[in-house]
Amino acid sequence: MHRPAIVVIIPLLLLLVTGEASAHAFLDRAEPRVGNTVATAPREVTLWFTQKLEPAFSRVTITNSAGQRVDTGNTRVSGNQMSVSLRSGGAGMYRVNWRVLSVDTHTTDGSFTFRVGQ
Amino acid sequence: MDWLGAAIDGPLVVIRAIHFAATAVTVGAMIFRAVVAEPALRSTPVAIAVVRSQIRLIASIGLAIAAATGLVWFQLQAVSMSGLPIGETMTSDVLSTVLNETQFGLMSKVRFALAVILAACLVYDRFAQARWLALGSALGFLAAIAWTGHAGSTPGEMGDLHLAADALHLIAAATWMGGLVPLALLLAAGRRNKGLAWASLARRAVQSFSTLGIVSVGTLLATGIVNAWILVGSIHALIVTGYGQLLMLKLVVFAIMLVFAAINRIWLTPRLGFSPENEPQLEALRQLTRNSIIEIALGLTIFAIVGVLGTLHPAIHLM
Repeated sequence: MHRPAIVVIIPLLLLLVTGEASAHAFLDRAEPRVGNTVATAPREVTLWFTQKLEPAFSRVTITNSAGQRVDTGNTRVSGNQMSVSLRSGGAGMYRVNWRVLSVDTHTTDGSFTFRVGQ
Repeated sequence: MDWLGAAIDGPLVVIRAIHFAATAVTVGAMIFRAVVAEPALRSTPVAIAVVRSQIRLIASIGLAIAAATGLVWFQLQAVSMSGLPIGETMTSDVLSTVLNETQFGLMSKVRFALAVILAACLVYDRFAQARWLALGSALGFLAAIAWTGHAGSTPGEMGDLHLAADALHLIAAATWMGGLVPLALLLAAGRRNKGLAWASLARRAVQSFSTLGIVSVGTLLATGIVNAWILVGSIHALIVTGYGQLLMLKLVVFAIMLVFAAINRIWLTPRLGFSPENEPQLEALRQLTRNSIIEIALGLTIFAIVGVLGTLHPAIHLM
């Protein structure tokens, strides 16, 4: 192999070995944070994903410990961020279920919980 | 957490592979005409009508297949996006939502408009302006695919890099693999029409395509590494995930194509001499045509692999 080719390829291969990149359409973080306890019920729950989302096919629902839906049903999506407002649902464990379609046409879903009150 | 749609979706894989291959052949024929055939034909007017009609036929058939498979792809994607049964997807307003409210839908509309422009240009391709517009719309028709795939959803500046790399990767792939079809037909015509002009045209075309091939391979390697860095992320992911293993299979097929391209350039092209009735030259032409057909078959294998890769979650998701 010619030397110029090696000069180009080796750094690129090193990039390949050491490079880090974010995953696609997976939950990156949320507010309230996954598994955390907050003192009072939040007004809204926001989820950040690792990919840009399609608003038309991305939804989040939230239920309280009694299994009742406490979200307003109005999911807002902007870029890789998805939010939904909450109605008062009292203290206890809240479950967040999400199903999103990323712009690259992949559908992913998942759920997590957070606790309200002590 | 589970990944809906992570299983390989058979019809989607097949239709995408055919669509990519047909698009590459269409666009490759347009690039071949602009960069290889037209410059070579200037000094070989005897072959103009034959070569131009060959290229127009290839592009027309390719575009017709791309349009038909593009429509089916859109419908299958709508089913996959909505998660509804196919009957329900077709009768509900899901199609309209996918078309008007998703990036895939927007790109489908853009690509449809470019396909219509390209078709019109192919009809009126006796005009030089139509030939240039055909090249431009063909490149757009191809590059827009990048916005429908993994590159289209990478956020931030990395997303711009990913899109640029993917669009260039598509163009380089079409230049090489798509250009092989008109090259093979031109070589076959060269064997049928034994004459000094055809021998000279074949030699010039092969030399010119060979140079174009080197540029394409360099672009494919560089942009492929960028894409792999973003979608696979590490050598470990390349080895242990299905996505990575399939990508390696694609690289193996690519390497075999490179071997054939090297044989064409290093051994066979220099044997295309000036004498039209020269036996070694005819043999070299025959072998070049055969190798081009083998390369086309290998290229189709790569498109089949790409059809699967696009429906899988990239390796970096699974690590």
